[in-house]
This record gives sequence, structure tokens and C-alpha cells, in this order.
Amino acid sequence: MISAQKAFAQYIDLYKDSVGHVSVSPMLTALNRSALAALEKAVQTFRHDPMGVADVSAPEMFAPDYGVNILGVRLPVDAASSFRCGVPRLNSLLAVVANDGYYPTQNTASDLPEGLTVCSLRDVPADISVRVSEALSRNLADGGPACALNSLFLHDGVLVYARRGVKVDKAIQIVNITSVAMPVLNIRRVVVIAEDDADIKVLLCDHSQAAGVQTLDSEVVTVEVGDGARVELYDIEETLPQSRRYWQLFGRQASRSHLSVGSFALHGGRSRNEYRIDVEGDYARTELSGLSICAADRIVDNDVRLTHAGSHCTSRQLFKNALFENSKGGFAGKIVVKHGAMFTDAEQTNRNIVDGEMARMITAPQLEIYCDEVKCSHGATTGQLDERAMFYMQARGIPADEARRMLTQAFMVDVIDSITFEVLRQRLHVLVEKRLSGTAAGCDTCATACHSDLQEPV
Amino acid sequence: MTENTDKEINAQAERPRANDELISKATSGEYKYGFVSDIDTDIIPAGLTEEVVRLISQKKGEPEWLLDFRLKAFRYWQTIEVPQWAHLDVPDIDFQAISYYAAPKKKEGPASMDEVDPALLDTFNRLGIPLEEQKVLSGMAVDAVMDSVSVKTTHRERLAELGIIFCSFSEAVREYPDLVRKYLGKVVSYRDNFYAALNSAVFSDGSFVYIPKGVRCPMELSTYFRINASGTGQFERTLIVADDDAYVSYLEGCTAPMRDENQLHAAIVEIIVEDRAEVKYSTVQNWYAGDAQGRGGVYNFVTKRGLCRGDYSKLSWTQVETGSAITWKYPSCILAGEGAVGEFYSVAVTNNYQQADTGTKMVHTGSNTRSTIVSKGISAGHSENSYRGLVKVARDAKGVRNYTQCDSLLLSDTCGAHTFPVVDVANPTAVVEHEATTSKISEQQIFYCNQRGIPTEEAVALIVNGYAKEVMNKLPMEFAVEAQKLLAITLEGSVG
Repeated sequence: MISAQKAFAQYIDLYKDSVGHVSVSPMLTALNRSALAALEKAVQTFRHDPMGVADVSAPEMFAPDYGVNILGVRLPVDAASSFRCGVPRLNSLLAVVANDGYYPTQNTASDLPEGLTVCSLRDVPADISVRVSEALSRNLADGGPACALNSLFLHDGVLVYARRGVKVDKAIQIVNITSVAMPVLNIRRVVVIAEDDADIKVLLCDHSQAAGVQTLDSEVVTVEVGDGARVELYDIEETLPQSRRYWQLFGRQASRSHLSVGSFALHGGRSRNEYRIDVEGDYARTELSGLSICAADRIVDNDVRLTHAGSHCTSRQLFKNALFENSKGGFAGKIVVKHGAMFTDAEQTNRNIVDGEMARMITAPQLEIYCDEVKCSHGATTGQLDERAMFYMQARGIPADEARRMLTQAFMVDVIDSITFEVLRQRLHVLVEKRLSGTAAGCDTCATACHSDLQEPV
Repeated sequence: MTENTDKEINAQAERPRANDELISKATSGEYKYGFVSDIDTDIIPAGLTEEVVRLISQKKGEPEWLLDFRLKAFRYWQTIEVPQWAHLDVPDIDFQAISYYAAPKKKEGPASMDEVDPALLDTFNRLGIPLEEQKVLSGMAVDAVMDSVSVKTTHRERLAELGIIFCSFSEAVREYPDLVRKYLGKVVSYRDNFYAALNSAVFSDGSFVYIPKGVRCPMELSTYFRINASGTGQFERTLIVADDDAYVSYLEGCTAPMRDENQLHAAIVEIIVEDRAEVKYSTVQNWYAGDAQGRGGVYNFVTKRGLCRGDYSKLSWTQVETGSAITWKYPSCILAGEGAVGEFYSVAVTNNYQQADTGTKMVHTGSNTRSTIVSKGISAGHSENSYRGLVKVARDAKGVRNYTQCDSLLLSDTCGAHTFPVVDVANPTAVVEHEATTSKISEQQIFYCNQRGIPTEEAVALIVNGYAKEVMNKLPMEFAVEAQKLLAITLEGSVG
């Protein structure tokens, strides 16, 4: 097991060698500077989780010698027109992040509704720059080495800012594309801020065209939900077996706010998804859901820490994994109810199917409760598809493989049904079906066919 | 506003005050085992060095191989650090300030009970462990371990007729060295953890049980542990071997005097269960828990593990944990034999400033092995109560089944109740289920009891006993009564 000091030393040295070479905006440069001390401290205090999925721990993920675009060089292509992610096929407000650079499209550059800002983190409007700057640096100290490293090299990213009372029906879709020919670490950041009573939907889609090349995407998503505001955030991962992803979500909720996060890992290599949600206000509601379908040597590890500090809050978590062949899954979910968070109602469910001779699932659902007026529960199961249901279906002429696919799909259905965004929900039903049957995932409008080599049925 | 409404409001306002009184009454209740016995004790000076380890071994007249075992453990212990992963706030312990050997001085070779120190007998009588007629009538065999040395074992002759060995560990080393050597450290290695290494280096006594093939032990075997001398630790070691088709039920009880300073208890229990054998191990742990302000109390760092290496063997742990300032204890089962069964039933109660981080590990390495975990945590006062568990299914273990249920009950708004389970499944035929809930004692249930004339205090005891009943039912009768009383005493009036 590699130490954090050893794994991150290369990046610290690289930053020290390159400091001052590039300055894209005073806000980001200031963040880079303050991140150095945070990274050095995070590296020193990092402790391996003996019960976690070691393969996707921060040191293991960041240890390889990846190239970093320290000068902020942008792709010399019209990314927006080349990359058309047809995954959700939504009538959305589309923006593209190619490797680590932000590229607006027509509708995010000029067709935005009033009160909604979608722009590069390099070009944050002056009147909200303080708020955005605070959001960017808020989790430097407690986000671990991966978040600090992301902040150290950050030179571009996406800001989604909804002002007070703004309600947007269309989803803001951010398509992340990895398109490189050598091992590269992509630094990505999305900041979503919904002021009081705003209502927005954000869809993040990860794709990769870097076939045969091991790449690492470090993605940090910061979500701040104001009083009475509502944010729905969905994340779909459709990358390649060589792709590595270290995804971190930091959420903060004010009173009466509603945050709904859905994560769908359909294709990819090794992924570590961290959710850190602080429910600070009263009467807030939080919904977290996730599904992953893993085959071959795929690893997906979800690590949730949901902290209730406000009273009368409700949270629901539902995570499901289907593991085939040699794949590995992890789920660590902790609900923390702080002293004074009265009348908290928190539920956490994790269900897993292990259906491969070499497949493995590690689950750690945890409760840490410091308040007595609460109702908290968690449930976790690991097992197989119902043999009787399999028999029933085969007795009626459905082949075993087909029956298994249908039952796996049925197993996943409540995660998809928890999505309130109807267009996406319908599309995800199709995507999961296609994923299980091994047919093309559906980016048929995209010229690049980024995951054409992915068709392994499960 | 009507008169009735006024009365209701006044009654509601009165209730918290009444609750405060009840809580204060309960927390000021005296620990009834907190006396100190004035017994002549042979204590070696505080501190732990290689010489001390040699001295302990020499005092006990141990063979060379056992001294080597101790020295290896001691040298390993010096290289490792105190574990920090538990959800506990453990003050720094000065391991050099503890005396590692304290034995009640005995007259040379007491020929009969008349010659045993009367103060010692009085101690055990006050503990409710009369070593004579009462236990003969109750049909229980007792090995009593005071400070570090086993002082008396009853019923040996009757057990010997069946070929059962039940004696102090030192005696077993003298009389059955081959058996002890064969099994010592085979389940809990001295390299297992910090406290296991410490115990392996300095353990001074404990109990040894061997049940031969096909023998069903006709009575419950019982050990009472008591720390008496000041500034000492207790490091006992229990080794139980159940040969093929054997059965034994073993009980363990613990008490300590009330002292301002903390006392250390670091024990090891090793159990080996062969083909079709069954061991039932029950504990009622009531070490001194410290006073209402959290001063004093026993630090209870225990490593308990059983190896079900026989096919269709069974090991059942039942524990009622009400004492200790800090509890760090995870009775575990390694289910290696085909069809082996592991069970863990636990009630852990914490009040005042007590801390408990306890649970179990079920390691399934054999096929068709099954395990059940039922854990009930009850927290009151300013205490912290955590369940920590591991269910691990190895790649080659087919058809494994586990069910885990861990519930926590909170009786105050200043306590903590936590659950930290890990489930690691590497075989596609395993079915593992885990569920946990945390909640406050139901006001509706208390209201229901009140309506029927049951005072709040009794209602709480009733509800808590009902909550813990699933585990209490697993205790042998002799312990169940004591455990129920303990539960009531520990929690009396903690909530209204």
C-alpha cells in the first residue's frame, strides 16, 4: 500500500517548480496558492481505511505518473460542436468540459434565462466573486488530499449560479470529455450555487475517448443550496476500462432546502465517489441515490458522509450495486446526527448483488448519533438474484441470460424511479437496459462514438 | 383557557423536573460491589521490563517454553502502539505505573476451606459467590480469579470423573503442559493487537477448560474475576477447548472496587471448538464504571475469539456489558469448519461518562457456515456507546448466511449511539443482511404504561428489559436474573 506522502510528492514538486508560470484569474491563482499548505497537511494526516477498497484510495489513484496541464493549454478544436453527448438526449442548456477546459455552447453562452449564470470559473461576475471564492476554498481543509490537489492545479471549471427565486425548467448539462493520447490527470471543478428559493437541475456526464490510455479525472463538485432552494444533480459515468475517476461532492444545505443527488455508474474503470453533505439548516430534505453495474475488472466505491446539524430534517439514501465477473464494489455510508439536530429522520439503504466468482463487495453502513430525538436506520444486504424468480422465468421459456438481465434491471428500478426529473428517468431506464444487454449506450448523435469498445454484456 | 388545560401544562412542566430527580437518584446510586477487601497481597513493583516478565514467570514456576512465549510477546509489544481506531477517548495510560502481578497471599497449601483466608471468603460471599454449599446446591462449578491469581476452583472431582478439566491456568500449565502448549496462542496470537501482546507477556492466571470427546458438561462452568489491589492491572487468560461432540456452557462475571484512579483489565479468551462440539460463553461484565463525574473505573480492553474449526461446530457469545469506564471488546468467531455456526448476542448499557466500543467479528472461511448477530445498545447520561462489527465471507466459503441486527436506544440528549459495521463479501453464493435502527425510547409506550398505573421509572425498566429480552433470553438462568437486575440498576430513572 503506497503512502500518501509518496503518492502526492510528485505533484507538490511539480507545483513548486511551475508556480508563477500561469495565472488565469486572480481568484484561481489565490486558490492554488492556499491549496499548497492544505495539500501538505492533508498528505501528512491521511490515514488508510483498513476496511475500505484499497485499490481506489487517494494515494493509489494519484500515485501513477500522470501528466498535468499546468499551463492551462486549451484544445485547438471546436469542442462544443464535436462532442454531442446524446446520453440523456435532453433539451438542455449544454456546456462541455474537454479534458480540463470549459467550452460553452450557443445556449449556455447566450440563451440563458435571466438570473442564471453558467460560465467558466475564470470569468466569474464581480458581484458574486466573493461568494464563489468562498465556495471554492470551503473544503480545502477537510476534503482530503484529492480535493487539495484539485485546488492546487485548478485553472478552469464551471460555475452554475442561480439567483434568488430563479427557477429553471431545463437541465444544465455539463459534458466532461477526456480526449488525450497519453496518461493525463484532468483537474475539473463544478460549482453550483442556488440562492434562496431558486430551483435548478444539473446533469453531469462523463465520457472518455482515450482508448487504451490510463487517465485520471479529479472532479470536485461544490453544491450550495440556499433557503427554500432546490437542486437536483445527476451524474452519469460512461467512460472506459482504463479510466480512473476520483469524484468528490461537497454539499451544504440551508433551511427548507432540498438537495437530490443521483449517481449512475454504467461504464468505466476505477471510480471513487465521495459525498460530503452538511445539512446546516432546519426542515431540509436530502436524497442521495446511486447505482453501479460492474463487470470485468471494474471497481466502484461510494463513500457517503451526511451530517445533520439542523433540526426536523429528513434524508434518504439508496445505493445499489450489481457486481459481475471480477468486479469490486464498495459502499461506506455514514450518517452523523449532531447534538441538537432534533427530529432528524434519516434512512440509508444499500443493496448489492454479487454474481461473479471473483466479484467482491465491501459495505460499511454507519450511524453516529449524538441526539436522542431522532429516527435513524440503515439496512444493507449482499446476495444474489432470487433463484425462485429465475426458475419461474425460465419455466416460462425465458432463457437464463435474459432472465438474469431482466431481474437485474428490476433490482435497479427503484433507484431510477427515485429520479424526479422525468425525461432523465425514462432515458436512464433505456440506458440501464442497454448496459445490461451490451448494446450501444446511445450516444448516436455524437461523431466520436467515444465508448464503442465497451460492449460487454453482463 | 380552561382549568384542565392549565393543569395539563403544569403537569408537562413538572415532568422534566421529576425526570431530573429520577436521573440524579439513579446516577448517585452506589456501586454495590465497590468495597475493598483487606487481604494480604503479594504485589511486585510497578513497571514493565523483561525482568518483570521473567519474575512473573519465575513466581509461577513456569516451564521454559512459556517464558519464551511471554518474552516474544513482550518484545513484540514494545514495537507497537496503542490502537486509536475505536470511537473512544482513552486517556494516555502509563503502562510503567502499573503493577503487573498482585496475588492474594495464601497460607501454605490450605488443606480445606477452613484454612482459606476468612477475609477472602468474605469477599466472595459479598460478591454473591459463596464457594461452598450454595454453589453445590446450585450445581455450578466456580473458578474465582482475584487480582491476578485463581484462588479456588470447586466441583473439580465431580468434573474429573467425566474427564473434564476445569482449573486455573497456572495449574493447567503444571499438570497438563502438553494440552496448554498445543492450544495457547493458536486463536489469539500474541501479535494480534496491542493488548493481546501485553496480556501474552504478563498474564498471571485465568481458567483452563478441556471437555473431552463426546462429553456434555453437566453443569455450567463459571469464573468470577475481581480486581482488588490498588494500582494493579488484571491480565487473565481463558482457554477453552471443546473436543469432538462436546458441549459446555461457560459463564464469566467481573467486579472491581470503587477507586478514583483507573484500573486496567486486558484479558484474552481463546476458544477452540472441534467437530460437532458446542460452546456457549456468557458474560455479565460489571467492572466498576467510575462515578457520576466519570472519575475512576476500569479500562476493559479484552480480546475474545473462538475458532470453530470442526465441522458443524457451534460457538455462541452472549454478553451483558454494564460496567467499565471504557470497554473495548469484540468477541469473534472464525467459522472454518463446514456448516459451523457462530452467534453473538449483546446488550451494552452505558451511563454517566462510560464509553463502550464493542461488537463482533464473524469470519466465514468454511462453506455453509452461518452466523447471527443481535446487538442492543442502550446509552444514557453523557455516555458513548458504539457497535463495531465485521462480517467477512472468504472467496472459497460457499453458501454462507449471516443476519445482523443492531439497535440503539438513546435515553438522554447528551449521549451518543453509534453503529460501525463492515460487511465484506467475496463469494457469489453468500447472503448477508444487516439492519440497524437508532431511536429514543417511545413516549407512547411510556404513556401507555402510565395510563395503566405504572410509574414512569418502572415503565422505562419494563421497556428496556423488553428491548433487551431477545439477548437476555440467551443467558443461562443463573445469569439472567443478575443481568436483569443490573440493567435496572444501571438505568433506573434515566428517562421519563
